[in-house]
Amino acid sequence: MHAQMTHVHPLVFIRRNRVLPVPGVVTVRTGQKVTPSDVIAEVEIPTRHYLVDVYRSLGMKTPAEAERLIERKPGDLLQKNDIIAETGGMFSRVIRTPGPGKIVSISGGRVLIESDSRKIFKTAGMSGMVTEIIGERGAIVETSGTLIQGVWGNMQTGSGGLVIQQEYVDGELLPSAIGLNVRRAVLAAGFCKSPEVLQAAAVAEVSGIILGTISSSIIPVAEAQPYPIIVLGGFGKFGLDPLSKKVLVSSSGREVAINAVKWDRVTGERPEIIISLPSDGEPYPVELEYEAGQIVRVHASEHLGKVGTVQKIIPGLSRLPNGLRASAAAVKFESGEMSVVPLANLDVLHMTSEFLGTTDEGG
Amino acid sequence: MSTDTFEANSVLGIDIGSINTRALLFDVVENSYHFIASGAAPSTHTEPYFDIGQGVFDSITRLQESTGRMLLDNEGNLLIPSRVGGEGVDRFVVTVSCTTFLKIVTFGLLNDVSLDSVNKLAYSIHGKVVESIGINDRRPLHAQLDAVLAANPDLILFAGGTEGGASRSILRMSSLIANILEILPAPQRPRILYCGNSKLGKRLSDGFSRLTQVKLTRNIHPTIDDEVLEPALKDLDEMVMDMQQAKLGGLDRMAPLCSTPPILSSQGFHNVVRFLGKQYDPAKGVFAVDIGGTHSVAAYANHDVSNLHTFSYGLGSGISSIADKTSIKDLMMWLDGSRSEEEVMDYLWQRSLYPNSIATNKTDLDLELAATRHILRLIMRDLELRNALPTNRFEPILISGSALNRTVTPLQSLLVILDGIQPLGICPMILDKHGMLGILGAAGRLDPLLPVQVLESTAFTNLATVINAVSNAKPGSAIMQARLVYANGSYLDAEIKQGSILSLPLASGETGELQLKMLRRTVIEDVNISNEPILVRGGVCGVVIDARGRPLQLPEQAEKRRELFHNWEFMLGGK
Repeated sequence: MHAQMTHVHPLVFIRRNRVLPVPGVVTVRTGQKVTPSDVIAEVEIPTRHYLVDVYRSLGMKTPAEAERLIERKPGDLLQKNDIIAETGGMFSRVIRTPGPGKIVSISGGRVLIESDSRKIFKTAGMSGMVTEIIGERGAIVETSGTLIQGVWGNMQTGSGGLVIQQEYVDGELLPSAIGLNVRRAVLAAGFCKSPEVLQAAAVAEVSGIILGTISSSIIPVAEAQPYPIIVLGGFGKFGLDPLSKKVLVSSSGREVAINAVKWDRVTGERPEIIISLPSDGEPYPVELEYEAGQIVRVHASEHLGKVGTVQKIIPGLSRLPNGLRASAAAVKFESGEMSVVPLANLDVLHMTSEFLGTTDEGG
Repeated sequence: MSTDTFEANSVLGIDIGSINTRALLFDVVENSYHFIASGAAPSTHTEPYFDIGQGVFDSITRLQESTGRMLLDNEGNLLIPSRVGGEGVDRFVVTVSCTTFLKIVTFGLLNDVSLDSVNKLAYSIHGKVVESIGINDRRPLHAQLDAVLAANPDLILFAGGTEGGASRSILRMSSLIANILEILPAPQRPRILYCGNSKLGKRLSDGFSRLTQVKLTRNIHPTIDDEVLEPALKDLDEMVMDMQQAKLGGLDRMAPLCSTPPILSSQGFHNVVRFLGKQYDPAKGVFAVDIGGTHSVAAYANHDVSNLHTFSYGLGSGISSIADKTSIKDLMMWLDGSRSEEEVMDYLWQRSLYPNSIATNKTDLDLELAATRHILRLIMRDLELRNALPTNRFEPILISGSALNRTVTPLQSLLVILDGIQPLGICPMILDKHGMLGILGAAGRLDPLLPVQVLESTAFTNLATVINAVSNAKPGSAIMQARLVYANGSYLDAEIKQGSILSLPLASGETGELQLKMLRRTVIEDVNISNEPILVRGGVCGVVIDARGRPLQLPEQAEKRRELFHNWEFMLGGK
C-alpha cells in the first residue's frame, strides 16, 4: 500500500513553483538570488467598476447610435467628471464619469470603467535561486536546506529568525513566551489552545509561529492573525513529534521561511517550513510503500500523535479493538509498547538520517 | 494468450471517489446479471500521483485477487473485450465522484420563477451558489458586476423567459455577463449554461462563445407554470463532467476505453433512483443518500418527480463543514457525554486532514457514527428548506457511502439511518454496501437490464422493513400490539411501548404478515390500519417497529442519553 508521507529533512534539495493564479508580470530573472519576501510575480485584479449606460441615459434609438457619441476608447484613463459622450448641437447633453478610472470596454451603448483594483503578489517564500521563469505566471525557485512539512496553515507566509524556548517546545505556548525578544522572530511550541497568546504575538510583531498541534476552537483566531501559523501534527494537545522537534531545536537562530497554506492534496500544495542552508542536499522521494523499519506517526484514533517504528506489515486484514477490520502494521512506540495500527492511520515521517544519527533509536 | 472473443456481457465499473477508487465486476450468470465482486484502493488523482491511473490499476488488481479472474494483461492494460478463456471484460464504465467544489453564479428573471428553478439546478452539483442575480435585484449594475467578480465563479447558470416570452430583459442581463467575462482574464472565465428562452439561445451563444465555453440546453421554464429540469440537469452534468475531465489526470487516457462516456457518480445515482421511483408506490417515493468524503448526495423520485441534491457535508474533508456550519451541540446530542466539545471538534478537524483514517476503538467509532447521524439530519433539514421532499414516507430508503459500511454490525448502520432520516410510515431500508448505485446508473446506459437485475439480487443488504409509529402517549405506556405471522403459520406477539424500538426476527428475503392493533391514538403515517395484515419483508435486522416518536427527543443529560442509546441497541438485539 502506498504510504502517506510527511517529510522532515535536515538537509535536502528543494524545488518549488511560485506562480500567480492568473497571468501577470514576472519580476525576477533566471539566476537571480531571492529571499523569502522577494516578489516573484504580481498582477492587478480589478475590484470596482462603473457601468455608464450612454444608450439609455441619452435615450438613443439603438446602442450603435449611442456608441457613435462616445468619444473615448478602451484603455483611456479618466478623471472624475470627464466627458464620456455628448450629443452635440445647440442643446448638447453630456455624460460624465462618476469617478476616476480606466475604460475596460464599450459595448451595447455602455461604457465599463474600472475604478479600483488590488495588487496580488507571489513571493519567493524561501531563500534560493530562480532557475526557471514560468511565462507571465511566476518562476521556479530552488535551494538546499531543511524541510519540515505541516498539515494546516492560516494562509499567511513570512520569515524570521527561529527562537527556541525549550519549555514551550515541549509543551503549551503560554503568554509568558511572548517577551521582548520575539519581535520579528519565529516561535516554536508544542501546542496552543489560547487565543490570547496568538493575539499577543501579533501585537509583539512576531514573524511566525510553528506549532505541533492547535486546539480547533481557536482556528478562527489563528486565521485572523497577520503572521503565519503552521501546524505540523494536527488538532488537539499532542504537541510536536520528536523528529520535527529535534530538527527545529538544531535550527535555533537560523532564518526560517514559513509557507502556511492550507493542505490541498489536489494541487499538492502543503504547508511547510524551509530553512535554506549553504550545503547541497539531495532530492527526496515522493512515493513510498509502507515497510518495516519506517518511522511513523499515528494521525488518527488510538495512539494519536505517537511516533514509533513499523515492525512488520501484517498480511491480510487485522481485527481492530472495536471489531472493524483493516490492513495494518505492527508498530513499536517510543515507550516500548507494541500495537496494531491501521495503515490508513499512519504517516511515514520520512527523513534523511545522516544529519541527526539513526532515527529509530527511540523505537 | 488467445485474442479470440465471444459473445458475453461482463461489465467492469470503476468509481473514482475522493478517497477510494472502487472496481466492481458484473457478469451474466444463468441469463441474469449478477454482481460478482469488488476491489478498492486509495484514489490517486491527488498528490503525489496527480493521475487516476494508479488507483484504478490497484483497485482492479485487488478485484483480480479476490475473483481469481484475470482482467489486466502483463503490461497492466485492461483486457477488453473478454477472451475465450474468460479473461477480461466486455464492457467498461467509469463514474467520477472526486469532483472539485464549484462556485456558481445564477442569473434569472423573476425570483420565484426562473431564478428559483435555476437555483434548483445548481443544487444538483457539488458546489455553492455564491451569487444570484434577478431582474428585481436592487443593486446598481456595477455593484452586481463587482459582486460576481468578487465571487470568482467557475460556472454561470443563466435562465429566464418563457418560450416566446420576454427577451429584452434577458439581453440586458447578457450584456452584464459579457462585461464580467471581458474583465476576467481568459483562464478565469466561468463557463455558461444557458437554460432560458430558446429563441435567444443562438444569439447569446454566438456572443458569449468568443469569450468562454457556452452550452445551450432546454428552457427550464417553457411556460410560467411549467418547470422542466431534466434535460438541463443532464446537460449540466455533462458540462461539469467535461470540466472535471480537464482537471483529472489520466481520465482522458481512460475515456476511450469506456463503452459509454464517463459520467458523474451523482448522475448515475440519480438515474437509478429515478428508475426505481417509477417502480414503487407512487404515493411514497424512493429516497437515497450517499455520504461521501468531500460531499454527500441525496435523490428523491416518485412516478412524477425526481430531484438530485448535493451537500458539502462529508466524512472526509467535508467534515469540517459540520464544524463550520452548525453548532457542535447538535452533534454532541448523539454522544454519551464521555468526550468534551473541544475533544470532539479536534477529532473532526483531525479527520478532515486524513479522510481515509479509521476509528480503531469504540469511542471514536461512536463519534464517527454520531457525525454521520448529524450529517443525515443536516441533509434532511436542508431538503426541507429547499422544499425538495413531497413526503417523509419512502419506499425504500437506499443508503450508500463508506461511513455506513464502516460499522461493526448492520444494526449500527440501521440505527444511524433511522436516527438521521427519521422517516414516517412503513419503509424498507436498503444498504448499498458496495457503493454501486452510481455505477449501476452508468451501466444502465449500456443495458437497462443490468441495474434492474442487480438491484433484485443480494448485492444490496436489506437491513429491515421499519414501521414508524407516532403517538402522544406517555413514554413507557403501551401504544401498539403487534403479531408477526411467519410463512409456516407460526407467529410472534409483541407489545410496543411509547419511546421504544423493537426488532421482530424475519430473515432477509422472507415475508411475513404483520397484524397491528393500535392503542392510544397511535398512527402510522398515511397507513390505514384495518383488520387487514400488512405484508412485510425481512432483513438482516428483521422487521423493526420504531415507536421513539418524531422528531426524536434526546435527553439533555448525558447519563440519560447513554442509557437510552444502550436500550435502543439492546432492544434491537445488540449487546
